[in-house]
Amino acid sequence: MHFPPMLLISLIIVTALLISVFVARPAVTATRGGKILAFVVLFLLPLLCMAMGFTSELERSKSTSFCLSCHIMESHGRSLYVDDPSFLAAAHFQNHRVPADQACYTCHTNYAMFGGFRAKMHGLKHVYVQYLGTPPAPEAIKLYDPYNNRECLHCHEGARSFEEGAVHTADPELLPAVKANKMSCLSSGCHQVVHNVGELGKVKFWKGAQ
Amino acid sequence: MIAVLEKRLQLAGILLIVGLLVEAVCLLWARPLAFILLVGLGGFLGVAGIVLYLYSLVSARDLNAER
Repeated sequence: MHFPPMLLISLIIVTALLISVFVARPAVTATRGGKILAFVVLFLLPLLCMAMGFTSELERSKSTSFCLSCHIMESHGRSLYVDDPSFLAAAHFQNHRVPADQACYTCHTNYAMFGGFRAKMHGLKHVYVQYLGTPPAPEAIKLYDPYNNRECLHCHEGARSFEEGAVHTADPELLPAVKANKMSCLSSGCHQVVHNVGELGKVKFWKGAQ
Repeated sequence: MIAVLEKRLQLAGILLIVGLLVEAVCLLWARPLAFILLVGLGGFLGVAGIVLYLYSLVSARDLNAER
């Protein structure tokens, strides 16, 4: 759940001001009313602020702008605007097959148990490499594991265009192999152009990029 | 006894204020590093403040019993 940052910051400021009353005059807690107020101000309100802040920040970390805020991801961000439907990421982004504001997360999270958690752990590793390690060149960035068809099937399975597509149904063995992850959607020669950031100097960009 | 209790409450309050300020700054600064600061530093200070406040409540009862 995402809370408006200004609402959250207002709540934080009010909480901090109330806490400062107890810091300046801790004797207020001597009365029964003061004790109850202290419990609200020093326990309930900070807990609420922290829970709302964490939830909000967690939600924001799924946004496309958050992922692309690192300089190293700039070219991957540009690849979303390539004016060529064979670029898989661009076609998904531009046609809103994935939510445009969560484009990276939608495809790069793992739709299995703890997938979101694993995505966050990978994100932490990226920050570590960015600040304390040696970040690779954008075109040298690779996935941790081969892309699992499960992530594609999360949306495409059952869709008419996928199940009844001419190429998909030309060979009766194809769809069962794709669904069993025995034939990769990406690396089997069908949808192998994804971000291809090394080729961005040679392609045209969609005007939405401006 | 009261002085000790008040000192603990003040320290808990200061920890909470600093933790909340870190959280506010991180909410305005939408970068991956801000996420880590919010969870790591802001979360640590906030939890430490709350734990110290709860400890001060428990220890106040102990101090009363000793009296």
